[in-house]
Amino acid sequence: MHDSKNDFVVAEPTDLCLPFIDDLGVTGVSIAVFGPRGGQSTICSSDAVAARIDELQFDLGEGPQWATLKTGVPTLVPNVSTGTHDSWPIFAASIGSLHVGALFAFPLLMGAVTVGTVGLYRRTAGALNPRHMEIAVTLASALTDVAVRHAIAGADNEGDGESMVTPAMRREVHQATGMILVQLDTTGTIAYSRLQAHAFANGRTVQDVARDVVSRHLSFRSLPE
Amino acid sequence: MADFMREARLNRAFVKLADTLTDDFDVVDLLQNLVEQCAEILDTQAAGLMLLDGLGELQLVASTSEETTLIEVMQLNAGAGPCVECFTTGKPVTVGDIERSGDRWPAFRLEAMRQGFKSVHATPMRLRGQVLGALNMFSIHVGELVAADVAVAQALADVATIGLLQERGSREKTLVAAQLQQALNSRILIEQAKGVVSESAELTMDEAFAALRKYARDHNLTLTTAATAVIDRSVDLGSRVGAKGEAGSHV
Repeated sequence: MHDSKNDFVVAEPTDLCLPFIDDLGVTGVSIAVFGPRGGQSTICSSDAVAARIDELQFDLGEGPQWATLKTGVPTLVPNVSTGTHDSWPIFAASIGSLHVGALFAFPLLMGAVTVGTVGLYRRTAGALNPRHMEIAVTLASALTDVAVRHAIAGADNEGDGESMVTPAMRREVHQATGMILVQLDTTGTIAYSRLQAHAFANGRTVQDVARDVVSRHLSFRSLPE
Repeated sequence: MADFMREARLNRAFVKLADTLTDDFDVVDLLQNLVEQCAEILDTQAAGLMLLDGLGELQLVASTSEETTLIEVMQLNAGAGPCVECFTTGKPVTVGDIERSGDRWPAFRLEAMRQGFKSVHATPMRLRGQVLGALNMFSIHVGELVAADVAVAQALADVATIGLLQERGSREKTLVAAQLQQALNSRILIEQAKGVVSESAELTMDEAFAALRKYARDHNLTLTTAATAVIDRSVDLGSRVGAKGEAGSHV
């Protein structure tokens, strides 16, 4: 957009994982964002085990990252071998062979909407200390824009997400999310996923549908479930 | 006399900004106050503050009005206009006569003129050699800002920068980026809350913002806290606002 030399800007997806490893003493990281088709896309994994943990959760539809997606708050499993795993029994059984000591998941938030998760694992068991918790939240928040861009990229321009969404259009997307939240009496995350799904099902961009919602040409009240 | 008046206003502005920097300070409140003070003190009709996001784009986080038209001109300004020039050079940019700015920024020029703006001034928000954003002021009069006004604008922008980053006072780039991100994310939260209020109280987005702000003020809450309460539905501004239009008249 403009020729900025500003080095606050995060560039390569692979670089996104590294700060977590450097600053938190974890073994591996994967970052997943929920794309226009409602499915997840992994924007980076630092190693094969991290990628496998990520993949298993999304194949099975359960695990710490799913829990974080639903709640919008971190999910911490400091000791995988002694944990109860009531919420993810199949996932727990499946990672047995991966020799993972601890698992942590942090949300990527777009306002009140969870648009993705950061999954961390460590070979050894043990909790994150308060300072590490704070750093993890900080690092995750620095990823929000990347996640938002992925999340808003329209279904018809997937893979071309770089060029499409202007900041002004994003405002309408967020406003529409708030309106749909009321129309469906639900949470921000679900309201947003409905907006995405509607756009995808109709071959339109999220911002295009959002504009119709904001201008009151489209209400999710009158849409079939 | 005019100088004295301005001095007094300026003092009041700094006191008010200092007030926002206390315990539970909210960065969006701070920036919102700043743009309003700025427009008032420097006798400009519109002001907006843009911050750098994680993708290297400038995003509008606070403006004197939530009207779509003003937001449009602010964004054009940030895309190809005096604002982005200020941002890339790290120096203030004054355009005393937008109409005569030639074809440097054609889309911006056209839209600014269409909205009746004649001049614009952009002041960088700087931190240790990095530029984090820019404060923009639009006037309906032709003319450059005088040196004293340029200095005032810079002082206000510096306060905003300090406020934005004071919470952790860190020199680490990631933390600076995260602080900026927090401001941008609060802005997203406010947009979502505007949607909630707009839908439940049948208000325009502009009126919804006014209602949200009024609620925050009446209850001594930060804008971010009020927005969160609205989104998780623990507060219903729809029933409080009542008849359509009422919220706007309280601003």
